[in-house]
Amino acid sequence: MLILGIETSCDETSGAVLNIQENKITVESQIIGSQIDIHKVYGGVVPEVAAREHVKNIIPIINQVLVESGYGMHDIDLVAVTRGPGLATSLMVGFEFGKTFAFTKNIPFVPVNHLAGHVFSPVLPIVGKTRKLDIKFPFLSLIISGGHTELVLVKNYNQFELLGRTLDDAVGEAFDKVAKMLGLDYPGGPEISKYAEIGDEKAFDLPRPMIDSDDFNFSFAGLKTAVLYQLKKVKITKKIKQDMSASFQKAAVDVLVKKTFKAMRKYELNHVVVVGGVSANKFLRNNIQTQANVENITLQLPELDYTGDNGAMIALAGYFQYKNNENKQDYLKLAVDPNLQLV
Amino acid sequence: MKINISKSLEDTNKLAKNVLANLGDKKLLLLQGDLGSGKTTFAKAVAQHLGVEDVVTSPTFTLMKVYKTKHKQFDRLVHVDLYRLDSVGVDELVELGLQEFIDDSKSLVLIEWSERLEKKIENSIQIIFDIKKDKEREIVVK
Repeated sequence: MLILGIETSCDETSGAVLNIQENKITVESQIIGSQIDIHKVYGGVVPEVAAREHVKNIIPIINQVLVESGYGMHDIDLVAVTRGPGLATSLMVGFEFGKTFAFTKNIPFVPVNHLAGHVFSPVLPIVGKTRKLDIKFPFLSLIISGGHTELVLVKNYNQFELLGRTLDDAVGEAFDKVAKMLGLDYPGGPEISKYAEIGDEKAFDLPRPMIDSDDFNFSFAGLKTAVLYQLKKVKITKKIKQDMSASFQKAAVDVLVKKTFKAMRKYELNHVVVVGGVSANKFLRNNIQTQANVENITLQLPELDYTGDNGAMIALAGYFQYKNNENKQDYLKLAVDPNLQLV
Repeated sequence: MKINISKSLEDTNKLAKNVLANLGDKKLLLLQGDLGSGKTTFAKAVAQHLGVEDVVTSPTFTLMKVYKTKHKQFDRLVHVDLYRLDSVGVDELVELGLQEFIDDSKSLVLIEWSERLEKKIENSIQIIFDIKKDKEREIVVK
């Protein structure tokens, strides 16, 4: 079965063609029309509202992804598109395009929850490669990005339970804002990671907000503000940038790792996935792998191509939803849902 | 113009309540101030007083989040953050889907980083946040 996946919930316009045959999965092609290069020039801000960019990008990107897959429009069996959560005007571009595509070809259309896409992203092989499709339930998913920080218990292909979430800023947002305070380049996450490599993680004493709270919620706004207070007392030199990057990164990762493994123990799980843009962070990857080894837990991380928002993960989650007979409602009447929840 | 000093979450909560009680015919709150100056904290307080049940989180990445309220005058709170945008004119307000909420009498609209607006939107309340020292904020309401 050939699946066209489309994602336009935030900044990225992305399309992918996924091929699933007898439990083998191949990503035939994927394009992520990233605006990051544009952001860099503007020091972290978006010069244009993303919706306008999505409108410009969507047809060229879908056309190109089909060309690169070696298949044509007529070969596609299923269209899967992000329905939410995200910004309504951005979501609409991909969603309405996908509906039109499915309607014209008279093939099924599946509306996908963006977070379900991330949850299954570790299954995806790199573009052009094939991998066995093998998932065991239940497992825990830590979703960490610029817009999300959530701990989700995944019971089945279509059954999720939100265990905890950030109560203020997402962790990726905290990385970007601390980078901005330090005068680092955009995107902030990779810059913090780079500077932290040579920095002293004990140089600044920063809080670990909510690390010992009884629930599985997070808070990163206070950590960001603590960084601000400390920086007001010093002159920001290269050494300070390195030390603060290391101290901040350590504080954020400490909280993420501790809460994740606390949830693993409470729900007696032995399988965890860490997904989303921040899951590309090397320090986090190493720390969580070390802890997984200690506790004899299977850890799965997505290939770097699938840490950020991408079309392949939407195609895969859409396939699972289709196979499990969900959402057979008339899609022509369906609209995007900016507040879509995982249930 | 009124100058307020907030030294705690309670102070910010009281101020939010006060602002809501004195809206008059206005329904647009324009927040200004640097990173960590308390804008999102204020937005959370406004949400609480409007009876929003969902957890209000920072809309920096999605740019805008819409919450249902339990308020006699407003059906929804529209929480906007323009931090990631360079400059926002009339076209951008339409493309964000924000203009329709600004025009809707049942929506209370709160915009963080309103400095990014190309021109001030009429009939709004400006709230300016400034960090005085650790845990102390000056909040000016115009």
